[in-house]
Amino acid sequence: MSVTAVAAEPRVQGRPSWFRLDTFVLGAAIVALIVLVVLPVASLLVGAVRSEDGLTFEYFERALTGRSYLRALGNSLVLGAWTGLLSIAIGVPLAWAVSRTNVPGKGLIQATATLSYLSPPFLTAIAFVNLFSPNAGIVNVFLRDVVGINFGFNIFTMSGLVFVTVLHTFPFVYLLASSALQSVDASYEEAAQILGASKIRTALTITAPLVAPAILSGTLLAFVNAIALFGSQAIIGLPGGIVTLPTRIYSLFDYPPQYGLASALSLLFIAITVIALYLQRAFLSRRSYVTLAGKGARPQLMDLGAGRWVLFGACVLTFIVAIALPYGTLAAVSFSKSWGLDFWQNLTFDNYRFILFDYDVTKRAIANSLLLAIIASTICVLLGTLLSWIDIRTKWPGRKILDYAALIPLGLPGIVMAVAILQFWLSMPVALYGTLGILLLAYVGRYVPLGVRAANSSLRQIDPSLEESARILGASWGKTLWEITLPLIRPGLFAGWLLVFVPVIQELSASILLFSSSSITLAVAIYNLYETGSTEPVAALALVNMVIVAGAIFFAQKFGGSKLGLKTGETSRSGAAS
Amino acid sequence: MAGIRIKGLSKSYAANAEMAAVSGLDLDIKDNQFVTLLGPSGCGKTTTLRLIAGYLTPDKGTIEVGSRVISSAEGVAPPDKRGMGMVFQNYAVWPHKTVYENVVFGLKLRKIEKAECRRRVEATLDLVNLNGLESRFPGELSGGQQQRVALARSLVVEPEILLLDEPLSNLDAKLRERMRVELKQLQRRTGITFVYVTHDQAEALALSDQIAVMHGGRLQQYGTPDEVYRRPTNKTVADFMGIVNFVPAAAKRLASGALIANVAGVDIDVSVPAGVADGDPLDVAVRPENVDLARSSDGRPGLTGTVTEETFLGNIVEYWVELASGPAIRVQAHPTERFNVGETVHAQIRAGECSAFPRTEPTKQ
Repeated sequence: MSVTAVAAEPRVQGRPSWFRLDTFVLGAAIVALIVLVVLPVASLLVGAVRSEDGLTFEYFERALTGRSYLRALGNSLVLGAWTGLLSIAIGVPLAWAVSRTNVPGKGLIQATATLSYLSPPFLTAIAFVNLFSPNAGIVNVFLRDVVGINFGFNIFTMSGLVFVTVLHTFPFVYLLASSALQSVDASYEEAAQILGASKIRTALTITAPLVAPAILSGTLLAFVNAIALFGSQAIIGLPGGIVTLPTRIYSLFDYPPQYGLASALSLLFIAITVIALYLQRAFLSRRSYVTLAGKGARPQLMDLGAGRWVLFGACVLTFIVAIALPYGTLAAVSFSKSWGLDFWQNLTFDNYRFILFDYDVTKRAIANSLLLAIIASTICVLLGTLLSWIDIRTKWPGRKILDYAALIPLGLPGIVMAVAILQFWLSMPVALYGTLGILLLAYVGRYVPLGVRAANSSLRQIDPSLEESARILGASWGKTLWEITLPLIRPGLFAGWLLVFVPVIQELSASILLFSSSSITLAVAIYNLYETGSTEPVAALALVNMVIVAGAIFFAQKFGGSKLGLKTGETSRSGAAS
Repeated sequence: MAGIRIKGLSKSYAANAEMAAVSGLDLDIKDNQFVTLLGPSGCGKTTTLRLIAGYLTPDKGTIEVGSRVISSAEGVAPPDKRGMGMVFQNYAVWPHKTVYENVVFGLKLRKIEKAECRRRVEATLDLVNLNGLESRFPGELSGGQQQRVALARSLVVEPEILLLDEPLSNLDAKLRERMRVELKQLQRRTGITFVYVTHDQAEALALSDQIAVMHGGRLQQYGTPDEVYRRPTNKTVADFMGIVNFVPAAAKRLASGALIANVAGVDIDVSVPAGVADGDPLDVAVRPENVDLARSSDGRPGLTGTVTEETFLGNIVEYWVELASGPAIRVQAHPTERFNVGETVHAQIRAGECSAFPRTEPTKQ
């Protein structure tokens, strides 16, 4: 473009605005979001009220009055409530220990929380079944056959389910509480002390109200995540006769599938989740005092003296129960010929050889999951970048609606996402059911909020003038995005990529409804093998899963220099789930 | 009544005592005084304040209030038992409590009955010009208003000692000036002993009865604002208290036996510190307002130089004058008589306002 032409006729040289690259690419991103998220959810709504002869409320009526549905709802709420409370009981003391005391081994606690959060609960559930199932769990066998007391712990109960779930959800409370405790500046507490308030009084009247919103918010996240977990609820709940919403919805797809009822129940499920998430946001934003202190906050540390070793003991215990015990068990099972009290007498690599080389299904599952995880994370991050670019850098009308639309999947439990996707794509004239494609759509739709969040927080830190100075030098929109914006936010995107990769590789809740024998995934293969009673190969496959996750984390720290963004309070809301 | 006596106070955060934050501090803060701890960041002033408040335990030395030892290496009375007040740099106004709730906190702890609480809170809010804002949350207040809440919260319990940690540093220039006046009036009216920490020498000069200038964890000088500005005891203090020229000179013994300073052949009649011998190199600390420039010498002995830089600042004009003997000095003069760059001028140093120090380190300008 010549300077004179631009000066005289600014618009003449440009192509029509609808044809420009930026409009086209950004428009495509919006369409993608609508197809991935908005339309499936809409089809859920339609499916719930449509019958052969028009509008009906029959499905809602049945979902709200049928005993089996109400029991599932009740069980889900009980599970969520207990899990939330126990997450506080574990998360808050640990957070306090790490942020406010001189307890030794803070790194261990941080690692325990991160690993617990990353571990898929259905694997933890399988591990604890191996220890505590009433007949074959070796702790119970040991108590019965060796010690001689017929009084073990039955894992197939609500207590067992809560226990296994809490191990996955307490990090939500821990992470939010510890970042809140760390950002309360010591001067708030010192000001109370110099006015004559004792340490206890200060803790109750100053510190507790300041961090309460963060703790409540973490608890609600724990609740939302807990009730959405299909895997642990199927593995532990079903044998004990405890049916929950995800497992009830799943059973509606036994032949003949009852789509209308499944849709109504899904919407009920969404309502619970959305209310909880709304409260969570309200707590976090309305009274988020802790952010006021801002950077450079200097938390007050307490010298516990010898008491710190007691606290350290509690931390070590958490590590043992949440990490060492389940993974130790899985490792032991995976190397044994036959799991039992004397498993160590004949160790073997056969289980690994079986799942990695001999058995077609597991080989295919590993390959499928790797492929899907890589593609889904990449799409999520790129789509997230475009969507947050629209939000932050443009003044387009309706961009806020877009932002909310991108958050919708946070309120969708995995199984609900699967129901929505199924409904929508079965009504389309493309045969996607049973292909890797439909799984990809489900994964991208479900985890696109993580991509948006990663891109959003990175993009906010890049001053627009960096992009504007490239444009003024003559770079096009696409060129600027490619040469300036993307390289600048690369570390954040890399972290976001991993934040999507980890949950996708072990996704179970949505995959369980969408897979076929050719598109089977890792988590589904583990679940199916477990259902057929192949205890030992299941454990081997579980460890392969963890090796892949560990490899991804190693890869992230080595090349991205990031710690998965798990250190801050900005923990993901739907996060790793199965 | 509520004087503070600090004896041999030392505190170090690192294991080695070389890196002490405060070492061997002696300070006698009299009752009803406004005392400022002044120094650059890292000089130990905030550490001293936090030692007085009882947040820190000294490694050595004692702090006494009245005749009671409240801090020593053996033990420290906790902050909540000291009956002091403290105003923090970030105000530390509790964001989850209203203005009223913030201020009444200390009274509630003292089990004051409700009506009396209300009366005293209102009186104190009056004192800091905050009446009418009782039910606001801190988030709805400006920085200056939050500052007043913090003040009111400390004052309402009528402490005998009020500690202030750079309370004005987060305010903008205009507000800072106003709060400065208010603080000083407040101190006079209440008779509370103020211990005030700042790195701003102008603030210290304006507010204090006594200034303790600190550097590198040690007390450099303790005196009135006039003393520390006009009679600094060492070069560090002279340098920190405002703009200063260090003019190289040599000690010279007069026939009378007195030692004075000689700058490039011109005698400057300043007293020379003890321990300096005839002919020893000196630095004469000359503030820019204590040099008179003139076009002719009028027969008086003086230095000559050339104006190399002229800056009009409104109330004064600042010149850089390169002396014939080599060094360049900064001079501030009244704008009535102006000199041009390149002009040769005569510079008269007001010896009575200057101090001489042995030259131990390279002079810094």
